[in-house]
Amino acid sequence: MSRIQRETVANLLIVGFCGLMWFWAIPTYTPPYPGYGASPALVGNVAVGIMLAMAILSLIRLMLAIYGNNPLPADEAQFPEDTNSAGFTQVGRVNLVHLITFMLPCFLLVFAIEYVAYLIIAFVFLMVMQYLIGNRNWVQMVVIAVAMDALLYVVMRHGFGVPVPGPQII
Amino acid sequence: MEMITAGLMDALTPASLMFVFVGVAAGVMFGAIPGINGPMAIALFIPITYYLTPLTAIGFLVGLNKGAFFGGAISAVLLRTPGTPEAAATSWDGYALTQQGKGEKALRMALYGSVAGDILATGVLVAIAAPLAAVALFMGPSEIFALITLALTVIAGIGTNSLFRGLVAAGFGLLVGQIGTEPVTALPRLTFDMYQLGGGLSLIPVAIGLLAFSEILIQLERFAKKGAAQHAANVFSSKLEDRLLSIKEFFANTRTLIRGSAIGIFVGAMPGLGAPVASFMSYDQAMKRSKEPESFGKGRLEGIAASESANSAVVASSLIPLFVLGIPGNLAAAMLMGAFMIHGMQPGPLLFKENAQLMYGIYGSLIIASLFLAVIGRFGLRLFCKAVEIPAMVLYPIVIFTCIMGAYLGKSEMFDVGVMLTFGVIGYFMRKFDFSYVAFLIGFILVPEWERALQQVVIISENNPTMFFERPVAMALMVLAIFVIAQTFWKSIQAGQAASRAAARAKK
Repeated sequence: MSRIQRETVANLLIVGFCGLMWFWAIPTYTPPYPGYGASPALVGNVAVGIMLAMAILSLIRLMLAIYGNNPLPADEAQFPEDTNSAGFTQVGRVNLVHLITFMLPCFLLVFAIEYVAYLIIAFVFLMVMQYLIGNRNWVQMVVIAVAMDALLYVVMRHGFGVPVPGPQII
Repeated sequence: MEMITAGLMDALTPASLMFVFVGVAAGVMFGAIPGINGPMAIALFIPITYYLTPLTAIGFLVGLNKGAFFGGAISAVLLRTPGTPEAAATSWDGYALTQQGKGEKALRMALYGSVAGDILATGVLVAIAAPLAAVALFMGPSEIFALITLALTVIAGIGTNSLFRGLVAAGFGLLVGQIGTEPVTALPRLTFDMYQLGGGLSLIPVAIGLLAFSEILIQLERFAKKGAAQHAANVFSSKLEDRLLSIKEFFANTRTLIRGSAIGIFVGAMPGLGAPVASFMSYDQAMKRSKEPESFGKGRLEGIAASESANSAVVASSLIPLFVLGIPGNLAAAMLMGAFMIHGMQPGPLLFKENAQLMYGIYGSLIIASLFLAVIGRFGLRLFCKAVEIPAMVLYPIVIFTCIMGAYLGKSEMFDVGVMLTFGVIGYFMRKFDFSYVAFLIGFILVPEWERALQQVVIISENNPTMFFERPVAMALMVLAIFVIAQTFWKSIQAGQAASRAAARAKK
């Protein structure tokens, strides 16, 4: 996908999001006008309006680039990956798989912590994350997981007096 | 006078001193680690400040920010990997000195440059913020609304190549920031029937997700491609003259330090420019005024002095628009603004009127933080140099878990952890597609004040939209905001035409 195609897709997605907000979310989830002051929907509409206007301006600029023989200037058009020789910032299949690999344990932790005690689930989580990042030194992994788990437990329970999430085992 | 004395005495209490000290030390440590910067460290530590008094909390965060600015120079000098973007110019001469075995000397110059810039800027902040705030008190809601609009327009250009994408991000921030209870009707707005959103989205999970978590996701990708972390070269020479900075060497750079600090103070006071601009501008000036400009980039102490004095001066001077107008000029100031709001204070001209003692206490903490930076940097330099070598596979799981528990700590709700993770993913894609997360965050923070000003204008004017045009200052600010957008669009087209002509010439 070329740079122009990707910018076009991104701007069209923004236009779609703005349409969704304008025609469904803002009218449905905003209180009615109380009869004085500005409408509760005004700021939302203005915010969506800014996004929409900028997306449309960008689309016009892209159309000028495609049909008007007016190419995008380098600094204006470049996505970060084009300037980054190492290619860290590409959004490809590999990157998305990588993202999902790390996000999945995090979201699982949010749900699992309601049912499993903090001390256990935090230890498991830290072990999994270290493994995913590439640590294969099991002694180091266990030491870091236990130390971090215990440190945060002590700081939260005894330092700030905040209950740790999930069922309490101690 | 009594107020000033009381405020300064508050800053000298053991608890306050201790937290400023810890803040500076932690800031240097975090700043030294490539990929972790001041705002990210503030985002990670804000949850802890819930449990502190406002003065200790702000003192701690200010210390953290000051420390991180100097810490960024450590990895820049030792690894040529700036811990923070503003330390990039420091790396040009700093790394060259490291290769010559004079890394410690370079770090000492960076430290003294940072402290000099910081102290001068703090002095200017103390001298002018309160009088300017007194003038700003004459601004009405129309002017405040117009000023925030202009600030959002200017700030939208930070962290992106395109103002359009910046404004989209700012608009998204405004939209997300108004989730919660509508201020006039006190009814839920855009909560999608989720009771957890009734009070709005908290700054802490949003900031941790956008600043820290998304950065770690990007860093993990980098790590997966690059492999093991870099190791610092042997920087500590056995020769004393290669390690220490002589008084003569320091005073030879006095002019550069003063010029760099002045540039940093000016740039920091302008919303939207930021420390990297100050750093590069100062370096450029130092090079232009030097008798040997060709020696820059090859290990010149003057280059380090120019860069570090300018970027450190920005830390204190960026608080001028925050304290005077309630507008954060950069990301670190936005995070500090969030910390003020968490402690029930609204930065702006009224801050000096309503919390005068606290403000003088904060001034005291700012000065103390500068002194602590000098002491901690002087005696802990070797220790902090070790921070650059912490292996990523040890560091990242710890930071990820700290992000999660930090998001939880604010309200003790796992819902906030979900919010943090969601904004982590949003931030990841914003970084990838070059949408400014800085503009998003500043829009998110400023929207309550923006809406309040708008509501006041509408109510006072009895729904008369021409009120902005009846107030000359407000009108000028609004026209300026429109001009900024129009100019960007026009420049983009002109640059495109120039590129087109260049391509045609190349074909011939």
